[in-house]
Amino acid sequence: MTLRGILTVVAVLAGLGAAGGGAVVAFGLYNTSAHSGHWAVTEWALHTTFENAVALRAPAESEVPDLSDPALIELGARHYDGACAMCHASPGEMAPATIAWMEPEPPQVEQAVEPWTAAEMHWIVHEGVKMSGMPGWPAAAREDEVWAVVAFLQAVQQGMNADGYAALTGGESYCSGCHDGGNSRIPRLDILSPPYIEESLHAYRLGTRASGIMAQAATVMSPDRYAAFAQRVGTTAPRPATPNPPPVAAQGRGDVPSCLSCHGAGNDNPDIPTLNGQSRDYLATQLWLWRDGVRGGGERAPLMTAAAQGLTDAEIDILADYFSALP
Amino acid sequence: MIRSLAGSGRRLVAMALMMALAGCAGRQSALSPAGEDASWLHDLWIVMLVGAVILWTALNGLFFFVTRVRPNDWPERHANRLIIGGGVIFPTVLVGTLLAYGLSMMPHMRADGDGLVVKVRAEEWWWRVEYWPAGATAPIVTANEIRLPTGQRTELLLDANKYIHSFWVPALGGKMDMFPGRETRMTLRPETPGVYRGQCAEFCGPSHALMAFEAVILTPGDFAAWLEAEAAPAAPPATPEAQRGQTLFRDEGCGACHAVRGTEFDGLVGPDLTHLASRQSLGAGIMEVTREDLTDWIAHTRDIKPEVAMPAYDWLEAAELADLAAYLEGLK
Repeated sequence: MTLRGILTVVAVLAGLGAAGGGAVVAFGLYNTSAHSGHWAVTEWALHTTFENAVALRAPAESEVPDLSDPALIELGARHYDGACAMCHASPGEMAPATIAWMEPEPPQVEQAVEPWTAAEMHWIVHEGVKMSGMPGWPAAAREDEVWAVVAFLQAVQQGMNADGYAALTGGESYCSGCHDGGNSRIPRLDILSPPYIEESLHAYRLGTRASGIMAQAATVMSPDRYAAFAQRVGTTAPRPATPNPPPVAAQGRGDVPSCLSCHGAGNDNPDIPTLNGQSRDYLATQLWLWRDGVRGGGERAPLMTAAAQGLTDAEIDILADYFSALP
Repeated sequence: MIRSLAGSGRRLVAMALMMALAGCAGRQSALSPAGEDASWLHDLWIVMLVGAVILWTALNGLFFFVTRVRPNDWPERHANRLIIGGGVIFPTVLVGTLLAYGLSMMPHMRADGDGLVVKVRAEEWWWRVEYWPAGATAPIVTANEIRLPTGQRTELLLDANKYIHSFWVPALGGKMDMFPGRETRMTLRPETPGVYRGQCAEFCGPSHALMAFEAVILTPGDFAAWLEAEAAPAAPPATPEAQRGQTLFRDEGCGACHAVRGTEFDGLVGPDLTHLASRQSLGAGIMEVTREDLTDWIAHTRDIKPEVAMPAYDWLEAAELADLAAYLEGLK
């Protein structure tokens, strides 16, 4: 066959292919019904693509932090309970029947975690999976938060059952379940002023304060209820004393403003949070986020972003230790 | 047409010359010296200019002479004399003399001070200033303004916080670079009382051009009185407006960065505000200490001065800003 003949055949085939593809789109020839499922070969191609994409992009194993902290596992379990269990079910349970008819069907949590390493689970939970119904993390900048969920998923891999899950996720109400003060990674609300709590909820809802966990919580609650909720859980007591502060908290340094000018006794501004007795690991995480420029919040957020720039890792630990130990 | 073009060209040159010469006078000019060091530098500049004019004229005159006036062949002996004398010996002697004259000035500018030491640290983008009178054990701290007495040599110890800057008050003396972690020194002996302008003279970042200060030269008596007032604690707020302003100053956390001596405010990050209202300028030589400029500055810091450390307090209401400004205006 001449070159001209080959080119003619290729052109005709390409034209037929384009016409066929156009017809599928234009006349609805492809059946998008979830009932109809995929062919086995399509299923295989999609899932293999997904597995290889995760393997290519997951963080290195060396980036996986210590996931054994019970407080981290509890935080992850509670977020899972509110945001993930609706599709993947809790350990030992089944998802609602409606979920089983998703295409692809979300795997029950024990099966979902089975093939993956911690680093791979982090990538999947943070990024989500396109065309599967699996969403990405609501606050893309907060990769740190995702490790809590991974810590929980790893506990499931290691055999957490329905009883263990129930023990982690119980509580009187959705909010107090996390915020009752017992978890070092979750802030206490009873020391915060109502205006500060309310402003924070709005910031989470708007995304000006980035948190996948709290974005979920703040959108589950109607904004109309924020003010009443803040009044109920917050306090209007004056800021308590802060005895024997470390020097950096008392007067600051050439590149660090003093903490207590805003967060100490004598400052009556209700838009500034009290730190006395606040959860230790939560405080440290927030200071890292401020320093990295990730932490937003209300209108005064630029103050803390500027204030935290000069803090060292050691000072962040000293400050978190000091304020969390105060009565 | 050509005539009128030439005429407008001449007018343009004349205008440019007038503008350029106008730039030579005034409170930020090395050609209007107000101190001993600046006078030396002024003389140096004149001598260098005269030397350069002589050298340029002589060399070009010679070139013109040999190419146009006597372009014919020269005897080799004369030509060698002209080349060695006019091209080697004359410029070497002239430039060498100018160099020796210039270098002979340098020890004077590093001469010992008469007692008063002023430490200046260049921050981003402002000046932290400490006065150490002879025998002092603690400094008198202020910012964004240098005050010096006439008739005595003051020692300036300079360094920088983060970037390289340069200290320069053209009317008082030469430049001196300011480095993080390394102290440089210079001494100045001002002579004529007045208000002069200093400017950072080393490109240091986005607000380099907005990093200036006033240099106020006082007679020794006036200087002693000013320094005594500067050492005193701040005046308490005198009006209800200023009292509200002080409360706001506390509740907005201003004292975390700014010190106001005699109050609880003892921050170390930003300029000391104890006697802000007695200064000639606001924001390091770029605004005035007026109600309008104070409110404008507090609410729009980073629009006015890119990347300055102080965040803009743009959530404060106009009335709150006015109260804050009233408090600051009372810090005489």
